[in-house]
Amino acid sequence: MRSSLKVITHVVVAIYAVLALLPLAWMMMSAFKDNGAISLSPLSLPTSYDFSVFADAWAVGGIGQYAINSIIVTVVTTTVVLLVSSMAGFALSRLQFWGSKYVLTAMVLGLLLPIQAYFIAQNQLFEAVHLKDTRLALIVPYTAIGIPLAIWLIKTYVDSMPKEMFEAARIDGASDLSVYRMIMLPVMRPALVTVGIFTALAAWNEFLLALLYVQDESLKTIPTGLLAFSSRYATDYRMLFAALTIVTVPLVIVYVMFSKQITEGLTQGSVKG
Amino acid sequence: MKPTSRAGVLVLVLPAVLIYAFAVVVPFIGTVGLSFTRWNGYGSPQWAGIDNYIRAIKDTVFMSTFGHAAFYIAVTLILEVGVGLVLAAFISAQRFTGFYRIALFIPVMLPMVVVAVLWRTVYNPDVGILNAGLKRIGLDSGFVWLGDPRTALLAISVVSGWVFAGFFMAIFLAALHRLPQDVIESARLDGAGEVRLFWKIKVPMIRNVTLLAVLLCVTGGLQGFDLFYVMTNGGPYNTTEVPTTYMVKSVFRDQEIGYGSALSVLVTIVGLFIAVGFWYYQRRRPTDVEY
Repeated sequence: MRSSLKVITHVVVAIYAVLALLPLAWMMMSAFKDNGAISLSPLSLPTSYDFSVFADAWAVGGIGQYAINSIIVTVVTTTVVLLVSSMAGFALSRLQFWGSKYVLTAMVLGLLLPIQAYFIAQNQLFEAVHLKDTRLALIVPYTAIGIPLAIWLIKTYVDSMPKEMFEAARIDGASDLSVYRMIMLPVMRPALVTVGIFTALAAWNEFLLALLYVQDESLKTIPTGLLAFSSRYATDYRMLFAALTIVTVPLVIVYVMFSKQITEGLTQGSVKG
Repeated sequence: MKPTSRAGVLVLVLPAVLIYAFAVVVPFIGTVGLSFTRWNGYGSPQWAGIDNYIRAIKDTVFMSTFGHAAFYIAVTLILEVGVGLVLAAFISAQRFTGFYRIALFIPVMLPMVVVAVLWRTVYNPDVGILNAGLKRIGLDSGFVWLGDPRTALLAISVVSGWVFAGFFMAIFLAALHRLPQDVIESARLDGAGEVRLFWKIKVPMIRNVTLLAVLLCVTGGLQGFDLFYVMTNGGPYNTTEVPTTYMVKSVFRDQEIGYGSALSVLVTIVGLFIAVGFWYYQRRRPTDVEY
């Protein structure tokens, strides 16, 4: 490639990356500055590094409780989605039974339905069965939202595997349930990793339903919790930046560690969806 | 294959089907049903026929939400898909790509609310870095970006671009990576320059991926909520009101569940039309390259 062109591409990408990372760097720097310095000289670097503000945001500000709630909701949602979708994905791929076509069609249609299409009656339904302001108010819909894509990805994956694998186990007398448990679960792993990443991040970041279904401060997850935090500390910018940094840094670390799997999981998930 | 037992199939399939039916299928049918009623959440819904739909079509604020969504989609198509494609092209031409791949994807990982709260501060006229940076280079604007009807919608669209340019870049990088090298090498030997090579050979070859990126951006834009709710909640003067923020206000602030449901059905229909349109367009023009 011509060298002048190469230099231009280098410079453009570098400038873009600096601009893109600037808000994040500013956020972290500002957590170490006092409120006077934050508003008087927004661009200056901190003069000292005092980490106690993070402890304050975590304990006094309640970010710790929000994080625990997010972890519970995300872990339960992801586990249930992986379990029920791997079972159904396997059955829909390998077993011929009455109704399998309808289930599959319903799932494909589900991929096209946004939350906006059903959250109003879902809210009424959850109110009627007293699900609102419980952890299940988030776990149940997050699981349901995750199921269609999960089944689709897992079914396609199982479709691509050799038939002989199952037939051999069958001849040895294994039932479908034991074929699922002994053979399928281990070989599905790559598909399960993709589904797990996709589902976990969606549950971790979901906002609309969390906003509508959980008002109880002690049950709020990070998105709604951070929003409540930001109005509690509306003028205490130092605390706000500390809270933003606390919820951002772990995600950045996780991403740097597993960037390849996560990028693949997220892009594949949306491309197939 | 035939299942070994009917009970086995039920055990495998039923849990997923029941959860999905309870939390999605039943609520979807319920929302369609409620859209033909008048209901404030207490007592029982009153039949209203298509009144809600007639009212929706005459509701200028609701109709304007589609205009705002269209503007948002147009800007994000440029800032997400366009910038993402250019970034992918530029980065794939370099040797060390790891840093950019990771750095530019980070915003995708963050909850949208976190992004929205952060950028609300970036745009803040008192403490934000945007005005501070402009002042540093001699443009003391003191501009209230999110409070001014002329800039609020654009300001929100830019934030969406900041998040998703890296996402689409990753999709395009993967697609460019899969291209058959022999085709590109032979074009290069024929004397095609890099710019021409990119636009005339590579871009047409990843046409399907591009189409999909556009679809994701358009349908995602129609469903936008988090950024809008946190940064402006529809204001100033309804200039950033989008379908979902308006729907949420109708149901949860005004207690008009029937009317909100009708809006929900209309928005869903628009979204499905777009998706089906894309599907048709793609089917009509078969791909030139399979991979």
